[in-house]
Amino acid sequence: MATTSKSQTQPTLTFPRPIFAALQPHAFLHAHLSKPAPARPSGRSPQDFRPPVVNTGGLTHCHGSAVVRCGDSAVVVGVRGEVLMAGDVAGGVREVGLKGYDGRIDSKDGDGDGDEVKEIEDLRLLVPNIELATGSTPTNLPGNPPSALAQNLAARLLRLLLTTRLIRLTDLRILYPRPPDEEGGEHTMEVVAYWTLYIDVLVISLDGNAFDAAWLALLAALKYTALPRAYWEPDFKTVLCDDDRNADRKLRLRGFPVPASFAVFEGREGEGVWVLADPDAGEEGLCRELVTVVVDLDDGRTVVRRVEKRGGGIVGRGEMRELVSLAEGRWRGFREVVGG
Amino acid sequence: MTDRRRINGPPSGTQTPIFASTLKQTPTVRLSPPTRTREPTELRKIFLKTGLVPSSSGSAYLELQHSSQLTSLKITCTAHGPRPLPRSAPFSPQLVLSTTVKFAPFASRVRRGYVRDSAERDLAVHLETALRGVVLGDRWPKSGCDVVVTVLEGEEDAWWGDVAGARERGEGWGLMCVLAGCITVASAAIMDAGIDCVDLITGGVAAVVEEGGGKRGEVMVLDPCPAEHRNVLAACVVGYLASRDEITEVWMKGNASAAISAEELIEKAVGAAAATKAVLEEAIKEAAFVKFPELAKSRGGLNDIDMNG
Repeated sequence: MATTSKSQTQPTLTFPRPIFAALQPHAFLHAHLSKPAPARPSGRSPQDFRPPVVNTGGLTHCHGSAVVRCGDSAVVVGVRGEVLMAGDVAGGVREVGLKGYDGRIDSKDGDGDGDEVKEIEDLRLLVPNIELATGSTPTNLPGNPPSALAQNLAARLLRLLLTTRLIRLTDLRILYPRPPDEEGGEHTMEVVAYWTLYIDVLVISLDGNAFDAAWLALLAALKYTALPRAYWEPDFKTVLCDDDRNADRKLRLRGFPVPASFAVFEGREGEGVWVLADPDAGEEGLCRELVTVVVDLDDGRTVVRRVEKRGGGIVGRGEMRELVSLAEGRWRGFREVVGG
Repeated sequence: MTDRRRINGPPSGTQTPIFASTLKQTPTVRLSPPTRTREPTELRKIFLKTGLVPSSSGSAYLELQHSSQLTSLKITCTAHGPRPLPRSAPFSPQLVLSTTVKFAPFASRVRRGYVRDSAERDLAVHLETALRGVVLGDRWPKSGCDVVVTVLEGEEDAWWGDVAGARERGEGWGLMCVLAGCITVASAAIMDAGIDCVDLITGGVAAVVEEGGGKRGEVMVLDPCPAEHRNVLAACVVGYLASRDEITEVWMKGNASAAISAEELIEKAVGAAAATKAVLEEAIKEAAFVKFPELAKSRGGLNDIDMNG
């Protein structure tokens, strides 16, 4: 076997690799990284991300879906729109009152002011949920309430959806042009209903860095999400959808934020520090400081959309710059894979 | 009561989109219901692959071939075990098998919740019955094995364009097709985990369906896709061990007419299961060849299977 021949050439490894890795994971990773050309046990260099493999539109009952696989982490996302009737909203709907507003062009309130995010949040129009308990790892078995990790991930996904203002409220509103009344008023647009997007993330296989994989799948699914054309039918007093698939309206996403997560590995007694991109499950368990940078490239200009950092203070300003540039590379790679 | 550990939708609830063609008498777009283009004894093509989840002991993925606009069954399964039972568990002389079947929220036309419902628990019990008959449990005392099945895309009970018709034909036809898939995929995952079994178990479905426009023509079909038929009268799922010629699980439903007896229906379902076995064998062989490359050289390559019941 390959492992035994390796252990003969390297006298420091007297066990086969998998046993050494299981017994002394910290020393195992340290030994790998402190070589002249640092390489992780998986063969990647510390800056390497696992290349994502994306497949969109595989599910029939969703309005948008995607499968993303990064190494051994595989995630399926289904986006489904359901209709929230304006009459069911407690406290009523915020007055749109746009004269001659056609609902497509974001003339007035399209550019995502604070009110838009607040309205989406208050009405709960975006409902991302993540399920890890699909046997994705031996510890994530069904029958228990969502784990702390699952709750944390779902909250982070929702936060990122809202802070990046990815989804336009105008895409979610279902409008009805109320005909002018007899006193000769004007045509007014009325919000009769909203689309609520249920974004269900199912983690099929988990090998570290669940957030990146989940967000990439979510983004790919939303990019190809098309909602049916919905309209108010006065005869039935309800919202109906057009059967014609060609009339479907795609979501117009604001930007294309791509996250990149890093874990900081500290050697024994200050013998060096390594920042590992896209950590797998083994590496994640050995690192305390975790950094997630969300970037978007707009006409070659890099915009940092969000930075999350916890567990330590090793990554400072200078290191953060490097991480952002690594994240740019990841953005380009993912954009190419998703296309569109 | 809202689930505070998950992110919930609007408190007033939302409704699934209603399409115009389902309400109006003269819809602008008339969608034509799908029809079966296969022979009555022909099964849909099956894609089966093991080793999907590297961190589990065994895993498998099953997908049935698409036909036109229709959905196809997509199921993943992971097997975790055999592994020691927790200390608090009572002594068990046999392997404790626990099965879970969960539909993804997007698996069906109507959105499902994250908490298991009675249909899912029912399927899990059926699956457990089917698997318990094949696993050699006494080889692993004091151990447990969790078989987790996730249905990414299920089978509908009726074609969704025909809302009025769906009500009168009853429910549960889709679940029977899902169960057959679950049995096959769980079998592959258990094999991948290396748990000793007496034989390969596969699932098969047969159904009596109503065909044609006005006249009542009852036809027996293998591997039915309920959405493709005007009405399903009776259906039967079996979990079948081909080389021992044993059945570990039968689930039959509906009213078979006088012309077609229940025995005949079971026999046809067994035929469907036997045809599926060839695919399962090939998937396991493929996995074995990856693990032991020298075996592949001695045995020759792989081939696609022509399935006919």
